[in-house]
Amino acid sequence: MSELIPIQLPLWQMPLLVLLPLALPAVMIAGLRRMVNRRRIPEEERDWSIPPLTDGDGKSLLHRWDVRCKILTILVYSFIIASLRHPEPAAVAVAASLLVLMIARVPLVKVLLRLLALAGFLGMLLVVMPFTVAMHPGDTLLVFGGVNWLGLNLRGLTLAATIAAKAVAIALLMEPLLSTAPLPVTLHGLSRLGVPEMTAQMVLLSYRYLHVFRHEARRMSSGMQLRGFEKRTNLATLHALANFLGMLFVRSFERTERVFDAMRARGYQGQFPAPAELRMHFTDVLISIIWISAGIALIVYDRIVLQG
Amino acid sequence: MHDIHKSIPWPPSDDALVSVKGLSYSYPNHRKALTGIDLDISSGDRIALVGQNGSGKTTLIKLLCGLLSPTSGEILYKGKPLPDHHLDRSRPEIGLLFQDPDDQLFGHTVVEDVAFGLRNQGLSRENARHEALHALEQVGLEKLAYKEPHNLSYGQKKRAALAGVLAMQPDVLLLDEPTANLDPRQEEIFLDLLKGFHGTLICISHDLFFLYELCERAVVLDQGHIHHNYTMRDLVSQRRSLREHGLDFSFRLVVEPPAHLPDSPLPEDMQVQTPSIPDRAVNEKLVVMRNYQYCYPDGTFALQGVHLSIHAGERISIVGENGAGKTTLLSCLIGLRRGEGDYVFDGKPVTKSSRKDLWRHAGMVFQDCADQLFCASVREEIAFGLRRLGYSRAECRPRIHQALSMVRLEGFEDRVPLHLSGGERKRLALACVLAMEPRLLILDEPTAGLDPHGEEMFLEILGNLRTTILLVSHDMFLVKELTQRTLVIHDGRIVTDLPTHVFMKDESLSSLNGLAFSYRQRSSSAIRILQHEHEHSHLHEHLHTHRHRHGELEHEHPHEHAHEHTHRFVHRHTGDQQQHDHIPSRYHDHDHPEHGSESHDHSHPGIMPNGREPRD
Amino acid sequence: MHISDGVLPLSVTIGGYAAGAVLTAWSARRTRSQDLPKVAVVTAAFFVASLVHIPFGPTSAHLLLPGLAGALLGPVAFLAIGLGLLLQSLLFQFGGLTALGANSLMMGLPAMVCGWFFQTFKGRTSFRQAIVGGLSGAFGTILAAVILAVLLVTGGEDFFGVAKIALAAHVPVIIIEGIVSAFTIGFLFRVKPALLEPSFVKPVKSVHV
Repeated sequence: MSELIPIQLPLWQMPLLVLLPLALPAVMIAGLRRMVNRRRIPEEERDWSIPPLTDGDGKSLLHRWDVRCKILTILVYSFIIASLRHPEPAAVAVAASLLVLMIARVPLVKVLLRLLALAGFLGMLLVVMPFTVAMHPGDTLLVFGGVNWLGLNLRGLTLAATIAAKAVAIALLMEPLLSTAPLPVTLHGLSRLGVPEMTAQMVLLSYRYLHVFRHEARRMSSGMQLRGFEKRTNLATLHALANFLGMLFVRSFERTERVFDAMRARGYQGQFPAPAELRMHFTDVLISIIWISAGIALIVYDRIVLQG
Repeated sequence: MHDIHKSIPWPPSDDALVSVKGLSYSYPNHRKALTGIDLDISSGDRIALVGQNGSGKTTLIKLLCGLLSPTSGEILYKGKPLPDHHLDRSRPEIGLLFQDPDDQLFGHTVVEDVAFGLRNQGLSRENARHEALHALEQVGLEKLAYKEPHNLSYGQKKRAALAGVLAMQPDVLLLDEPTANLDPRQEEIFLDLLKGFHGTLICISHDLFFLYELCERAVVLDQGHIHHNYTMRDLVSQRRSLREHGLDFSFRLVVEPPAHLPDSPLPEDMQVQTPSIPDRAVNEKLVVMRNYQYCYPDGTFALQGVHLSIHAGERISIVGENGAGKTTLLSCLIGLRRGEGDYVFDGKPVTKSSRKDLWRHAGMVFQDCADQLFCASVREEIAFGLRRLGYSRAECRPRIHQALSMVRLEGFEDRVPLHLSGGERKRLALACVLAMEPRLLILDEPTAGLDPHGEEMFLEILGNLRTTILLVSHDMFLVKELTQRTLVIHDGRIVTDLPTHVFMKDESLSSLNGLAFSYRQRSSSAIRILQHEHEHSHLHEHLHTHRHRHGELEHEHPHEHAHEHTHRFVHRHTGDQQQHDHIPSRYHDHDHPEHGSESHDHSHPGIMPNGREPRD
Repeated sequence: MHISDGVLPLSVTIGGYAAGAVLTAWSARRTRSQDLPKVAVVTAAFFVASLVHIPFGPTSAHLLLPGLAGALLGPVAFLAIGLGLLLQSLLFQFGGLTALGANSLMMGLPAMVCGWFFQTFKGRTSFRQAIVGGLSGAFGTILAAVILAVLLVTGGEDFFGVAKIALAAHVPVIIIEGIVSAFTIGFLFRVKPALLEPSFVKPVKSVHV
C-alpha cells in the first residue's frame, strides 16, 4: 500500500467530482429513454409490395456486402475489440464503430435502444469498480474528507470505462450487422458458415412468436389490472404473477402444438426451404481483409505499443 | 333424444373423393372424441360441419387432413388409405385453415409464409415467390407482401393465412371457424373468397347464416357421432333438431320482423325481449367525456374530439370497423389508458391517480376470456377481484355463490377454469366481473366463439342484469337485442349517436361504416321462410310403433295409418300466404295422445292362424 | 443479469462458446430434429416470461427462470436458453455477442441441474411438487449467480468486488424466484399436469408424422 498515490480532497468536492459525473449520464440515459419512447416517429406507410432490402442496389457498402463475410468479419473483429486492455484503443474502436454507423446509415433510434439496454450493466460496473478494484502499486486514489476506506481508485474507473467503451464499440456494430440485410438472409448466411440451418429457422420462429406472446401477456396483464391487481412486495403479488406465468406457459405450449400442426399441414417434414442464394465477390473478401487488418492494428497498438 | 336420419340423408356417392369408414378416435388420455363416423365426400361438395362446442368437429378435420391418425376405421382419399406414404403426397392437396391465424403465419414475412407450402411442394424459390405473390393478389394483400405478420390487422392475417393455403391449390379446403372475430366487411370479403373456391370445402362454424350462404350440405356432430347428414336447407329448417344439438340460432331471426307476420303468434322463446330501463334516476350521468382524445406515442390519433355521456342504467352499443378506435375508447373508459380531455365518472373527474381506481366501479368482459382467467379454481378466480376490493374470505363466499348462480354455474366452485367449455368459461368471466358489482359493465364481443345454445343463454343472463351496459360488437343482432342507443365510431370519432331502432332502420348509415351485413339479411329472410312455423291441422301418414288392441288382442308393432290432428309445423310459403307448399317427405315430429286406444283395423300377416300372437 | 462484451478475458469467452456449443448440440440431440420448431416457439414464451418485472421494495427484479425452464423442458432447456440468449443478444443487446457462450453456460447449466432435480424428487402430490419446484427455482438462481461470480472472477482480482456485489444483488431474486416457481408449479399441477412430465416436448405417441 505504500506506493499508492492518495490524493486527499475535501469532502465538499465529493459531489462535484463523483456524484455529478455519475448523475449526469444517469439523467441523460433517463432522458434518452423517454425520448426514444415518446418520439417513435410513425413509419411512413412504405410500399410493402417490394422487398424491404433488395440485394444488389442496397443503400450502402454494408448493404451490398456478402452476409457471410459480414458475419465472420464482425464476429472476429468483436472478439479482437473485446480483448483490448487499454482505454486509448478502446476509444479508437468506438470512433471506428461510429464511422461504420455513418457509412451504414442505419436508423439511429434502434442504435440508441441498444445502448440503453447496455446502460444497466455498464452503469453498475462504472459505479462499483472504482471503489472495489484491488489496490496496486502506483494506483491513484481519491480520498474525500479523510474517509480512507472509501477511496476512489482511478485505475478502477479507467478499467470500467475501458470495458464500457469496448461494449459500446461492439454494440454499435450490431445494428449495421443486422439491419443491412433481411434477418432471414443474415441467418441463412450464418448457416452457410457451418451453423445448422435449423438454428436460423428457430431464431426466426422464436422472433415471430415473441410478438404473439407479448401481446397475449399484455392482454392478460390488463385483465388482471381490471380486477384490481397491483404489483406490490407481498406474497399475493407473487402468487398472482405465478398464476400469470403458469397461464402464459399453458397457452404457449398449446399454441406450440397448433403451430406445429399448421407447419405439418403445409408439408413440413423436418426441413425448411433455403431462403436465399448468396454470391460472394472478391470485393466482399477485400472489405473483410481490410476490416480485420484494422482490428489487428488496434490490438498491436494495444499490446505492443502501449504495453511496450 | 330424437331419432337420427329422419330427413333424407345425403345420398351416398360411388365416386367419393374422401370416404370415411367406421372412423373412431380417442385422445391420448383415452377419452373418446369420435365414434363410428361414416362419411362420403364427393368432389365439389360444400359441407358445413356443425355441432356444439366440444362435439369433435376440429378433431374430425384434423383426421381428414392427416394431422391425427384414427384409432380405428379408415379414411380413404382418392380411393387409397390416407396415412403412410400416401399422406405426404396428398397433404398438399388438402388445405387446412386454422382458427387463429397466428398459429398459421409462422414465416418472417407474409410472402415467405405463403411460399412455405409451395417450397415444400418442390417449387424453386423464384417460382414459389411468384405463385405466392399471385395468391396474395387473390386475397387482396399484394401490397403487404413483405410486411411482417405481426404488423398486420386481424382480418389481414386471416386472409394471409388463407392465401398460404390457397397458394398450394388444394383440392379440399378445410376451414375451422373462418369468420370468428372478423368485422362485417372483412367477413364479406372472406365469404366472397371462399365462394370463389371451386374445390371441395368443409367448414366448421357456429355462424349458420354464414354457412347457409356458403354450403349446401350439412353434417351435424353430437358427442362424437354424426347425427345428421343432409342438406343445409334441412338443417336450418328444423328447429327441433337444431335445438337438441344446441344449434338453435332461431332466436337471431327476429332481427327484423318480416312485414307479413306469421299467422299465429310466435312461440314464447322467439319473442323480442325489450330491455327495460330501470326507473331510478334516468338522468343521472354515469360517464361524461368531453372533447376527449387519445394519441399513440407515434403521434397518430386513436381518438379525437370524443363527446360521450352515458346515463346510469342505460344500455349503449358502440359499433365500427376494426381499427376505428373502439378498443382504445374502452381502455380509456376503464382506466387502462389515459388520454387528454375531460372524463367524469360518476360525478367525479378522473385524474391521473383516480384512473387507477376505476376498476372498482367498472368491469369488462374481454373478447377472449382466456385473457382474464388465470386462477387454478373457479372459486379463486372470482375471489381474486373481491379480495382486491377488500372483502374478507368469509364475505367472499356468499358473493361467489351468488355470482355463480347469476351465470348458472352453481356448484362450479372447485372446477378448474381452464378445463371448462368455451361457453362456461365465458360465463365465468362474466361472473368474475359481476361479483365485483360494477356500475358500468363493458362487453367486448361477448358472444364470439360461442355456439348458438351458449349464446342464447349468455343473452338471457345479460337481459336480466340491471347495470349500465356498454356493448362493443360487430353483431347487429346483439346490438338490437341488448341496447337502446347506438354509437358509430369511425376514425377515432363518434360520428353517429342514435336510438338503436332508428339506427337499425337506416341502412345507408350502417353500410357507410363498413357494417354492411346484407348477406346476413338475405340468408336471414331465406331461413325465416324455411322455418316458418305455425299450427294447423292436416292429414298425416304415420308409421309408428305403439300398443294397440284389436278386440281381444293387444300388441305392439310398427304400422302405418292416417289421421288428422293439429300440430306445429315448419314449412314454407311460396308467394301467396294461403298456399302451403310442404317440403316433401318432411318428418312430422309429434305425439299422438289417446291414439293407442283408437280402433285399429288393419291386417296382421304375422299373426298366427288361431288369432293369438305369441307374447313376449 | 447478462454479461456484456468486453468484461471477460478472451480465453473465457472462447471457452464459453466451445462448452456452450457442445452442450447445445447434446441438448439438440435429445430432441427429435422434427420437433425443433416446437422448442423455438416455447423459447419465445420463456423469453416473454423473463421480461416480467417483480417489485422488491423500491426496486424491481426480473425473473431468470432457469428452474422453471429446467422443470418444464428437461434436457431441451439448454437449447431453448441458448436460443433465447442469442435472440436477446442479437435483437435487444441484453448480453454481449462475445459473451454469448459464457451467458448460456450461466443460465443453461443451472436449468439442466434443476430439471434433473425436479424430475427426480418431484413426487406425486401437489404440495410436494410445488416445494420441489420452489427449491429448484431458488437453487437454479443461486447456481446462476455463482457461475456469474466465477466467470467475473476469471477477469482477475480487480473483479472480486463486482462479483461479490453481483452475488449480493441476486439474493432478492433467489427468494422471489423460489416463491414464484413454487406457485407456478403448483398452478400447473392443478391445471395442466402434463406439462410437468419429463420431456413432454417429445411428441405424443398417437401423433404420427
